[in-house]
Amino acid sequence: MEVQTQIPRLTLWWLLGALFLVIAPHIFRLPVWVSLLIIACVIWRIFIFTGRASFPNKPIKLLIVFVALPLTIAQYRALGAGLDAAVCLLILGTVFKLLEMRERRDMLIVVSLSYLLIMVGFIYSQTMLAAVHALITFVVITGALISLQRENSHSSLKGNGQLALRLVAQSIPLTIVLFVLVPRVAPLWTMPVPVSSSKTGVTDEMSPGNISNLSRSAELAFRVSFDDSTPINEELYWRGLVLDFFDGRAWRRSGTAFQSYSMLERFQRPNQGERRGEPVSYDVILEPTQQTWIYALPLAQLDVNDVIQDRNYSLHIEKPVTQRYRYQVQSYLNYDMDVELGSALRARALQMPEVELNPRSKQLAAQFRQEAPDDRAYALRVLRHFREEPFFYTLNPPLLGEASIDDFLFSSRQGYCEHYASSFVYLMRAAGIPSRVVVGYQGGEINPFEGYTMVYQYNAHAWAEVWLEGQGWVRFDPTGAVAPQRISEGAQAVLENQPGFLEDSRFSMMRFRNTQWLNSLRLRLDSMDYAWNRWVISYDEDMQLQLLETLFGEEARNRLYLALGLAISVFFGIAAFFLLKGRKQQTHDRATQLYLRLTRDLATQGLVRQRGEGPRDFCRRVTSTRPEWTDAMEQITDMYVQLSYASHTQEARDESVQAELFERLRGSIRELRLRLNTPLKRLVLKSLPRQF
Amino acid sequence: MSLVTAVKPWFAKRVSRWLDRRLPAISEVHLHRKNIFILPTGPGILFLLATTLIFVTAINYVLSLAFGLAFLMTSLFILCILHTFRNLQHLRIRGAGAEPVFAGEEAAFVFVLQRNTEQVHEMLELRFPKGVWSYTNVLDNEQERLKVFLPTVRRGFLRAPRVTVQTRFPLGLWRAWSHVDLDMSVLVYPNPVKGPLPDANGDSSSGDSKSTQIGVEDFQGLRNYNFGDSPKQIAWKSLARGQGLKVKQFVDAQDEQLMLDWAQFPDIDAEERLSRLCYWVITLAQGSADYGLRLPGVEIPLGHGDAHCKKVLRALALWNTGAH
Repeated sequence: MEVQTQIPRLTLWWLLGALFLVIAPHIFRLPVWVSLLIIACVIWRIFIFTGRASFPNKPIKLLIVFVALPLTIAQYRALGAGLDAAVCLLILGTVFKLLEMRERRDMLIVVSLSYLLIMVGFIYSQTMLAAVHALITFVVITGALISLQRENSHSSLKGNGQLALRLVAQSIPLTIVLFVLVPRVAPLWTMPVPVSSSKTGVTDEMSPGNISNLSRSAELAFRVSFDDSTPINEELYWRGLVLDFFDGRAWRRSGTAFQSYSMLERFQRPNQGERRGEPVSYDVILEPTQQTWIYALPLAQLDVNDVIQDRNYSLHIEKPVTQRYRYQVQSYLNYDMDVELGSALRARALQMPEVELNPRSKQLAAQFRQEAPDDRAYALRVLRHFREEPFFYTLNPPLLGEASIDDFLFSSRQGYCEHYASSFVYLMRAAGIPSRVVVGYQGGEINPFEGYTMVYQYNAHAWAEVWLEGQGWVRFDPTGAVAPQRISEGAQAVLENQPGFLEDSRFSMMRFRNTQWLNSLRLRLDSMDYAWNRWVISYDEDMQLQLLETLFGEEARNRLYLALGLAISVFFGIAAFFLLKGRKQQTHDRATQLYLRLTRDLATQGLVRQRGEGPRDFCRRVTSTRPEWTDAMEQITDMYVQLSYASHTQEARDESVQAELFERLRGSIRELRLRLNTPLKRLVLKSLPRQF
Repeated sequence: MSLVTAVKPWFAKRVSRWLDRRLPAISEVHLHRKNIFILPTGPGILFLLATTLIFVTAINYVLSLAFGLAFLMTSLFILCILHTFRNLQHLRIRGAGAEPVFAGEEAAFVFVLQRNTEQVHEMLELRFPKGVWSYTNVLDNEQERLKVFLPTVRRGFLRAPRVTVQTRFPLGLWRAWSHVDLDMSVLVYPNPVKGPLPDANGDSSSGDSKSTQIGVEDFQGLRNYNFGDSPKQIAWKSLARGQGLKVKQFVDAQDEQLMLDWAQFPDIDAEERLSRLCYWVITLAQGSADYGLRLPGVEIPLGHGDAHCKKVLRALALWNTGAH
């Protein structure tokens, strides 16, 4: 039969399956008209296949390309998303190629594009689910390649699928070795990153209501794994940004012009502050925030070069966190921040809104100030005010008017952490004490299976830092005065029964945490996801070196390539052994095997058994040239002939007789082989077990 | 350019000589480690390019899973060396000859592909140099017969060149192949050329040979009109076609004997004569008349039947070629 160049029937289905799998995750991200175009092309292709439509002719092809291309570019230019546009074009290109492919060569191009599309999917999602999906897709694409090779009559869905599965399964060990050992290098050039929809999370502005909004979300903020024991909940203040500019309603960062990374880098003062005692070491995996700051317990020290600590001890990185970001921190929980306060910082920490809208608060501050002997006593007096007066900690506070501080302190008295932090700092500043708002997260839930801490969006928190003479910045948490449970047991414990809590995560398993088995399942899934992120997704150069050092010792870095080469050869060798050993068919029984070994030895002595020469003829020839072997040779030939050719006789069917005869044959052959071999080979033969 | 054109035949000759030494002609070939070659195919290179692209993207976007994908593709690529190689390994190939053909036809060489182990062989492709691929699978049956076609040009024995056995299974990323010389030949009869059979009576040099008796029963062919021929025998159709006045010639059933003679075709060159004779041998073999053949140095007496026909054709094929 002739080799055909057309596409086998089954192959198209395989390929359509692969393309469906590969495009499906993108379909909701693409503009609607693109999705419709894709579906139309696929249906057209199926119609071509079933003979109900013909291939697109040249004008139609040109029309499609010249309409789709500018349309895509125009659509995405408005959004300014270069990568999304590229992905859209890649998908469109693949589908167009699918539509017009006629030959095997075209199909191979579609297959290659499908591999690229799997990779594109990873830019958007690298979860465990995405990996499983990609693996299934990979098997289907491999199946498409197989069905392209096989002729239709031998091609079946099951057979191709099984072979594809086997090939992929056999590739996985080497894949793991390569994954672990191939050196990871730094990015060669910067790439555009996909702009995903804005995430919930702490922002650099705090106004009444925006942190309580976060309590509606059960989304994960970050996960932390402590090297030793996890500190108590009250210690877990994940410090984010310092907000020290108040405009009467919202708190912001002052001097944002100086907050750019390059400015920070120029004026950075590493290792400011005084650290005491032993640090706690931990490892954070931050979920994408689209922001350039990261969270840590004070007072943090990072060994990573690209993380910069600013004057307010906040931590900044160069690019927004668009993918999970992993960093290792050492925090000195016992510390002093800015025992000496510079005049610029002091001025910022005393800033008040230009238009004074809160006269009653100012009055209250003056009253407390008179009562208190020093700054600390004043701060404690304010906290006592929150505790003793009827203040309520609630997720759904009433709206505040223009004079937000006065409204809160004297009329509504219901608020979330941002209300308390805001009014507390206001009262401090009104009394001339330098203070500021800090936003971040507080607390966390320990995963009982893996022992790491999960911090969710509803753990978002705002608190205050007050500068005290001789001590520097000291943390005060007015929320703790109102709702001590919030700090000691976490947001969950206090807010659980409040309307609005986790409202945006209606289907989150978090809502069912009181159902024992569901909660356990949730924690299990999270621990799997955490392990996945920790060991697979954030596997990088540092982890690689760490792992190699534990495996191969100090010199691991130099031996990396050696180890890589060695590992590849070993795996190739093992695979070759199992794949190529070629199981012999059972045409040669055990007696024949022994006999053939003897003939091979005789061949080295110049006595080559001819094709079709029977054992008896061969025996005659051997004994005529080497009469000294006559006895042994005749005996062996007799036994061999009896064993192989007389197996139908009554006597031969008796297994014990057979076995005994075989043993005798083995003994005689061994003896003769020992006699006729060279001394060296004789030695080898002697050292081998009797079977040889 | 001239250098390349000068080097190319030299190189081809070296390769061919090297192959002759490495893989000498034998009646049965067992494919194994030492006579199988393997290299990536075009699609294999494309696959590698895609892998490289994914790897570079993985570096630039720091995508762990894209690294994983690139490594999975690399592993699959490497693994395919073994699978493709294995698909040829332990295959036995035997030549089972070829039926004689007429020059200009394609000779169908039959190859017996036999598996030696439990390993099955899928999509085995065979062809002669520049020929057309034939393919088969050796699956459940222990052996399969496969015809591989070779165009023929002139009569005589045609020795089959090296046949290429290749496979790209399972993914088409690698091509494993061997060039096998199984020492096969095919007998090529002359290309039959239709033409009238001139009257041998007059020209025949040997008077004792029995020759055709022109009769009226079995249609034998057309000859030019001679004055005095019966109008009943004129081929009116060919006259209508403007082919001139011809007379239908019949072989008399009572005397079914015809000696085809080299001397019947004077003024025609040797190969053309053989072609004409060949045509008449085929025509006569279909009828019931006995026929014989006389060539310079060869004489096949009158006879009939399959074996006789083959004998005569063989004589035509091998005349003056030095082979027997």
